[in-house]
Amino acid sequence: MTDVDDARRALEDALGPEHVLSDPLALRLYARDASMVEGGCALVVFPESNEEIVACVRVANEHGLPVVPRGSGTGLAGGSTPIGDAVVVVTTKMTRILEIRPEDRLAWVEPGVPNLDLANTLRPRGFTFAPDPSSQQTSSIGGNVSTNAGGPHCLAYGVTSSHVLALDVVLPDGEVVRLGSEGPEAGGFDLRALMVGAEGTLGIVAAVCVRLTPLAPVTHTMLFDFMSVADCAGAVSRIIADGVVPAALEMMDQGIVVAAERFAHAGYPTDAAAILIVEVDGTAAAVDAQTRVVETATQAHRARSVRVAENDAERALIWKGRKSSFGAVATIAPHYHLHDCVVPRTQLVEVLTGVYEIAERHELVVTNVFHAGDGNLHPLLSFDRSVPGTLERVLEASEEIVRLCVGAGGALSGEHGIGLEKRDFMPLVFTAEDLSAQACVRSAFDPAGRMNPQKVLPDGARCGDFAMARGSDATRAAEDLPGGAWI
Amino acid sequence: MDLIHPASKADVVDAVQDANASARRLLVVGGRRHLDKGNPSEVDAELWTTQLDRLVSYEPAEMIAVVEAGMRVGELRRALAEGGQEWPSDAPDEATVGGVIASGSSSVRRLKVGALRDTVLEVEAVTGDGRLVKSGARTVKNVTGYDLHKAIAGSLGTLAIVVQVALKVRPLPRARRTLTFEGDLSLASTLAASVPGAAGVLAHPDEVELHLQGWPEEVDEQASIAERVARSSAETDAFPLVRPWDASPVVAEVAVPPSKLGGAVSGDMWGALAGVGLVWVGLESADGDLDALRERVHAIGGIAPVVRGPGGLGAPPIPAPSVQRRLKEAFDPNGVLGPGRGWGEL
Repeated sequence: MTDVDDARRALEDALGPEHVLSDPLALRLYARDASMVEGGCALVVFPESNEEIVACVRVANEHGLPVVPRGSGTGLAGGSTPIGDAVVVVTTKMTRILEIRPEDRLAWVEPGVPNLDLANTLRPRGFTFAPDPSSQQTSSIGGNVSTNAGGPHCLAYGVTSSHVLALDVVLPDGEVVRLGSEGPEAGGFDLRALMVGAEGTLGIVAAVCVRLTPLAPVTHTMLFDFMSVADCAGAVSRIIADGVVPAALEMMDQGIVVAAERFAHAGYPTDAAAILIVEVDGTAAAVDAQTRVVETATQAHRARSVRVAENDAERALIWKGRKSSFGAVATIAPHYHLHDCVVPRTQLVEVLTGVYEIAERHELVVTNVFHAGDGNLHPLLSFDRSVPGTLERVLEASEEIVRLCVGAGGALSGEHGIGLEKRDFMPLVFTAEDLSAQACVRSAFDPAGRMNPQKVLPDGARCGDFAMARGSDATRAAEDLPGGAWI
Repeated sequence: MDLIHPASKADVVDAVQDANASARRLLVVGGRRHLDKGNPSEVDAELWTTQLDRLVSYEPAEMIAVVEAGMRVGELRRALAEGGQEWPSDAPDEATVGGVIASGSSSVRRLKVGALRDTVLEVEAVTGDGRLVKSGARTVKNVTGYDLHKAIAGSLGTLAIVVQVALKVRPLPRARRTLTFEGDLSLASTLAASVPGAAGVLAHPDEVELHLQGWPEEVDEQASIAERVARSSAETDAFPLVRPWDASPVVAEVAVPPSKLGGAVSGDMWGALAGVGLVWVGLESADGDLDALRERVHAIGGIAPVVRGPGGLGAPPIPAPSVQRRLKEAFDPNGVLGPGRGWGEL
């Protein structure tokens, strides 16, 4: 009798047999997320309450099995890709909105609530949940918390961390704690801030207290097109320099515009070198003032034309093209690899030029859609994995893109996280001491190393153990990954 | 009391390593404007950050400023104003950036500008065991490791000594206006809920102040929306106009869910931020009245640290005390940084 069999029986007792999967198909399905990384797991469980999450964690601990929390599985960095004999704890059956308290500008929700469902529920009450990742139809609030998700509107409204007041968390030892507070400040170190963006390595999010953002009275959405990428990026910098922080500022290059248009029929100008979606919101007067600045800035950078959304349907159409970009790339080639680097806004043109050059050298198709306002790039490499040698070229090009962004003063990830995919790039941006400090955070929550092991931090990063931390570098750490974990 | 006045980050590292070797306990001091927040702590030396006062880099088009922790808030305010921008702290000019961040101080304009910790994008800090570490990045969006920088913010100098920060800054408002209304907390809540984009609604015993800022025509529009709620009696651009708690020897900064502000105010020396849930309460002393206030506030899930005078932080339940303790032990294993000063006596 193996530990896994014992654990399965104990979990079936706790959750009911229908909430515990161990058949080969389920194990394959849950062996990966939306990234290219494939792993493996022993059991997949679907708790429906805090108590059931606790039971999952306790049973896994008793049987020495690692725990991998998972929301909707839309992660792009392998953060919820399990490894080894993991118990994958899927929170998608916890979809209740527990309470909405406009008087306190907060709502409590279960982790499996899809982002868009929450926004749609809040809308009639005059509020929204500001983070709006492109995956929002599917991605869950728990997953948004764990990756500190962004989305187009975090330029003006801030990332998920700014919109999470408190969290109920099942710690790796099974204890349930509330981090943060329903009020504006909590006592103690801000453990809530550590939990947001922790990619499921510090505990399992069991309930989220989100901050409600009042809906802006007026929203104005414009689409500009440009005959050069440099002009488009120049307009972005000019808008910001002139004192406007638009609600959203999204850029797409010609390659992705063509693909998105074929897919979404949004009426995008496919002959332009780049398009820029600018959304401003606020009171009518604030919108007018911002619109004037935006129009002047885009004219100064030779915008060819502007299309203004006259109503919600037209706005939705402009956004449909943007938000379905990643679906649209399926029309280019069967596989894609997506990056998520952030670079200083003023370096956009240089970095973009470098990205085109790298793709050309590796004979790969690259398209770019990005949150231009905050410098968050999403270069998409499209390819066909079945063509021998292609995957190797994709991985080489990817590493060059990451190094280019880091060299420009950027960060490895703006909103997707590090997961498995980028953990071995961490030494590019952090020293051994920095990584050791990060490892100290992890061991404060999870001294026994039970929760989502091998994610985020490269092997060798240890709390307080500098000798080991110094010995780590990208190449060596990569060799430590179990065989077959990649791709 | 010894004084350590480092001139560089390396000096800070040396000082902390020395303190570990010689079992000397340190109190980190910036501009002395936020030192009262924290539990009493017996230390052997003060470590002043005020020589670490450089503006490291500031590019208005990036909306990010990188500054050393000992820089005075007033200096930063002037430098950013030249780029048409601001860091939305309302701390006094003499406060240091590091002090504002480490003390978890809030802006009176929090309703609009958010929590100051959300402006902290990157921190370089020297841990209690003398390691210079960095967390975060100089970009407005970043999910690269744990947000240790946000946990250091508000940690009262008990986890690590902040030596440098990258701050997200914002455009200076083109116009500002404060309207005054006769009314109480309930009017304040109504204004906070009805005026889109209001920067602050401060209720105090005599009246309600509504602060507006933004584009000139936006402020006009907000003012006319507010006038539909109630008639205002005066206009200016300062905010707050009155700080009734300011003359008190002891000031507690209460944080509660916004709808529970009523349970936190008492006496006639308070000011409450509607829609935010912060209240400053002035008290004559740190004994009976403070205890009573804390009892009420803790019962409704809030906190009431003293930010001026004696009284410390109080003893509300702290989230996940075992994790808090392990974090402190990992970063300050010898208890060099302000022993007992933090929440839960950490």
